[in-house]
Amino acid sequence: MQLQSFVAIPNVAYLGAAILFILSLGGLSNQETARRGNSYGLVGMVIAIGATILLLVVPDAYGTTRVISSENWTLLITTALVGGVIGSVMAKRVAMTAMPQLVALLHSFVGLAAVLVGISTWLTADLAGHGSDLVHLLEIWFGVAIGAITFTGSIVAWAKLRGWLFGKRVPGAPLLLPGRHGLNAIAALTCIGMAVPYVSDTVSQAETAIELEEQLQTAEGVVERLENEPAGTRLMQDEIKKAVAEVERIEAAIQVASQPSTDSRAFLFLMMLTGLTCLLGVHLVIAIGGADMPVVVSLLNSYSGWAAASAGFMLANDLLLVTGALVGSSGAILSYIMCKAMNRSIWNVVFGGFGTDGGNPTGEGTEIEGEVTVTDIEEVAQLARNAKSIMIVPGYGMAVARAQHLVNEFSGMLRKRGCNVRYAIHPVAGRLPGHMNVLLAEAGVPYDIVLEMDEINGDCPETDLVLIIGANDVVNPGAETDESSPIYGMPVIQVWKAETTVVLKRSLGAGYAGVGNPLFFKENNRMLLGDAKDSMSQLTALLT
Amino acid sequence: MRIGIPKEVLNGERRVAATPDTVKKMIKMGFEVSVEAGAGALANYPDQMFTAAGASITSDVHSLWSSSDLICKINPPQARSDGSHEANLLADRGTLISLLFPEQNPELVEHLQSGSKTAIALDKIPRITRAQKMDVLSSMANIAGYRAVLEAAHLYGGFFGGQITAAGKTRPAQVLVIGAGVAGLAAIGTARGLGAEVRAFDVRPACKEQVESMGARFLMLDVPMDESQESSGGYANIMSDEFLKAELECFANQAKEVDIIITTALIPGRKAPELILQDMIDSMKPGSVIMDLAAEQGGNCTATVPGQVVVSSGVHVVGYTDLTSRLPTHASQFFGTNIVNLLSDMGGAGDFKVDFEDEVVRKSTVVRQGTLTWPPPPDPEKPPVMSQGKQDSEVVADLPQTKKSSGHGHGASNEPMAIGPRNAIALTLAVVLALIGFTAESAPVPHFVQQVTVFLLACFIGWQVVWSVTPALHTPLMSVTNAISGIIVVGGLLGVAGTELNTAAVLGAVAILVASINIAGGFLVTQRMLQMFRKEDN
Repeated sequence: MQLQSFVAIPNVAYLGAAILFILSLGGLSNQETARRGNSYGLVGMVIAIGATILLLVVPDAYGTTRVISSENWTLLITTALVGGVIGSVMAKRVAMTAMPQLVALLHSFVGLAAVLVGISTWLTADLAGHGSDLVHLLEIWFGVAIGAITFTGSIVAWAKLRGWLFGKRVPGAPLLLPGRHGLNAIAALTCIGMAVPYVSDTVSQAETAIELEEQLQTAEGVVERLENEPAGTRLMQDEIKKAVAEVERIEAAIQVASQPSTDSRAFLFLMMLTGLTCLLGVHLVIAIGGADMPVVVSLLNSYSGWAAASAGFMLANDLLLVTGALVGSSGAILSYIMCKAMNRSIWNVVFGGFGTDGGNPTGEGTEIEGEVTVTDIEEVAQLARNAKSIMIVPGYGMAVARAQHLVNEFSGMLRKRGCNVRYAIHPVAGRLPGHMNVLLAEAGVPYDIVLEMDEINGDCPETDLVLIIGANDVVNPGAETDESSPIYGMPVIQVWKAETTVVLKRSLGAGYAGVGNPLFFKENNRMLLGDAKDSMSQLTALLT
Repeated sequence: MRIGIPKEVLNGERRVAATPDTVKKMIKMGFEVSVEAGAGALANYPDQMFTAAGASITSDVHSLWSSSDLICKINPPQARSDGSHEANLLADRGTLISLLFPEQNPELVEHLQSGSKTAIALDKIPRITRAQKMDVLSSMANIAGYRAVLEAAHLYGGFFGGQITAAGKTRPAQVLVIGAGVAGLAAIGTARGLGAEVRAFDVRPACKEQVESMGARFLMLDVPMDESQESSGGYANIMSDEFLKAELECFANQAKEVDIIITTALIPGRKAPELILQDMIDSMKPGSVIMDLAAEQGGNCTATVPGQVVVSSGVHVVGYTDLTSRLPTHASQFFGTNIVNLLSDMGGAGDFKVDFEDEVVRKSTVVRQGTLTWPPPPDPEKPPVMSQGKQDSEVVADLPQTKKSSGHGHGASNEPMAIGPRNAIALTLAVVLALIGFTAESAPVPHFVQQVTVFLLACFIGWQVVWSVTPALHTPLMSVTNAISGIIVVGGLLGVAGTELNTAAVLGAVAILVASINIAGGFLVTQRMLQMFRKEDN
């Protein structure tokens, strides 16, 4: 009775933790409840870890208690503490512009952990027990594969977001190997193929172990029979010694056979799988262009969830299973939203090599003809003073120029003058879903004047002035009109319907997607060339 | 295409459906415009101005109607003094754009179903963000709210703003506005502008912010406000009695204090609720004014006589139904602009069409080519992506009544941690999941199948919950999922928890290390980000 109740505590705790995790995601449905949601998540995590430790130290359903050596305890606690400290420092130091990198890095950690847990689970399995079940072995196989893809894929995404790959090339330009689809297919087939010897080896080892168990019984029977013989002749003594030696030999063999070893062929295959899927992860992400990084990061978010869920399968741990599924669906939804916002299918993103398969990206789309009207600070200040309603469309360029604080100051001043200033956010603005909102929040922009594209698009015709700061493709009218444009069909913010638009831009180059923008040539558009931060500080000065 | 602008025949109507300014826009869109002689005279738009804008002036009303493809006017068609009926004057293939109020005017609707006539009811334009620029009810309500305060000020024997002069000082006038819709908010703004102290009431607690942003005090009832909101759900009857009682009690107390009451409580398509009763009027100071903007729908005040000013216990009870017509110049301008926006939405002169794919056109078309197309089919379910509350941009119905009122659930998303349908589904599933988890040990279900069940249920819960996350918080969503994926630390713990310091243990330890980075890093960075999100002036 008492034992049973001990066993139930972790289960109940896991259930509680799972519900708290669900509430923590649910809390994010609006800004007011979000912080509480995060605390729910934290409480859930503490409960879950506490319960797991309890599970390790109390006797299990059969009354046996796990023995944990003090070295292992030390290792466990040290790594947890070190990890905690590293995580805290990273969280504290990270600049909000670098959030995508941090998120990508954290995904890679989940992937890595899934790989390690998978291998470690295989190594600690009791082959004579259910450790050699086909389902269990395949769970490990799948978990390691998805974990490894997540791990290296996220590392590459992280490096791309930092602009680390390939020296001075355009940040995040895709690297396309010849015949890459074929390579991916071969890698995938090999992974499936290698599962066969891995499973058969492990199973045959397990069979050997079971066979040895039987031999052991026979040998033990011999020893027993001999010891029960009445007279202990010298010859008999030798017989007994021999029989006992045989028992010891078999016991040693069982020891070897029932414990999976790092020397076995199955382990070699498991390692080869890890290596191959690691390469596959690199290859998959390296072929994806920089403009698609928000989708890739969302997709890897999803993968990291599935990796955690597969760890749940192999460890038969329901909490891990549930959490993994939550995270996996969350990432899948984000990927879907991102793809929708770019009018592309997920397959196109993952295998497409955007704007590169057809050759020169800037060459696509109809040539735009017309004059660009360049303006100066005074005129923009004048426009802002006279406007009753202003929309600001920020893009990642604003964050790169570190202009968001000045933009907030600017919009605050205009709002004090009674002007209706609002921010319009395209779902793919920034390098991560919702990234722009975080950057604006950091700069102090109240979230209730920051609106999503769908909420604000209808108001464009009544807007007197639109300031486009560091954004380009998301306000490209070509997406609606020019069928030959690579971004044709992508929903965009219809700024050209406003009275006047002003584009703050460093130069007259193409956007991140490498597509020319007909907006620049519209009659009611003005270009304010120069560094966004300088321009904003001059504008703010003129308005005071 | 030719647009005809007839002179309004309704008695006392001073507005006109087009102004020289909007005529110019129509012509720019490619229309020809004919205006009946003297149509804009009462709104201070003489015929010469229309001519200057490019319109032709005609005094033959019958030919104006019959030769125009499109007739734009303000009031529903009615019988004319020469015995003809405007609905009959409309050309056989003509299109009429005006207020129609099809619920109240069934005979008129029947009348219009002849030949190949088309009739679009401006009062049926759906109240969605995109259609705001065409929404005459909002633009007129705004004017009515403004004018109501001026009329009240005119009748009131005192200053609105407090005065401190050598001849003594006066207190600012106390104004109560009931219903914080478009008209109510305009009234609050105008009264504040004149210096009065304003308080306002609305059954929708979500209005509190808007009311306060206009500088008025929002009256709260003793009945908890969140309960009042539930009245739009299933518990209407029991709730509404208690709520109604508290509401009337509140008004009775207010009546003793205030000098001006402006009521704007309307239920679309129904009689206005009676909120100011005779004993409240009796308790008011003599010289006080009650402006009843609901007079046309029966009035919010018992003493209201539509179209008239009555004096009851020394209190002026004003039931004007033509407040917008009392500001004809700008009312015409707004009305005309709303019409121009609608015309542009329908394709301008070039490809003008009554396109039923367009939600705005579908909902406002009462008759199309002689066939009744009203009421429109109900809305299909909205896709889950659009679940965000958009109160700021949609101040709509002027105070829907607590009783029986239905279909205004917005505001729910602003309730902290409200258990919406989505969360309810998630919680139910969580319980089911728990039951499976607990019973599985004894059930003969193979372990793997049970795991798959749990997994799929959890995917479903995740799907439900994550769709409700606001897009603005997608980055914190990612970082918090990073944090909770750190639960994989459990796998590492199991790997280390042994007697030996072997490969498995070391691998487990590394897993613990990276998973702990995720847990600590994920939660902290999420917290950091969420703390940045602040509301205005908070």
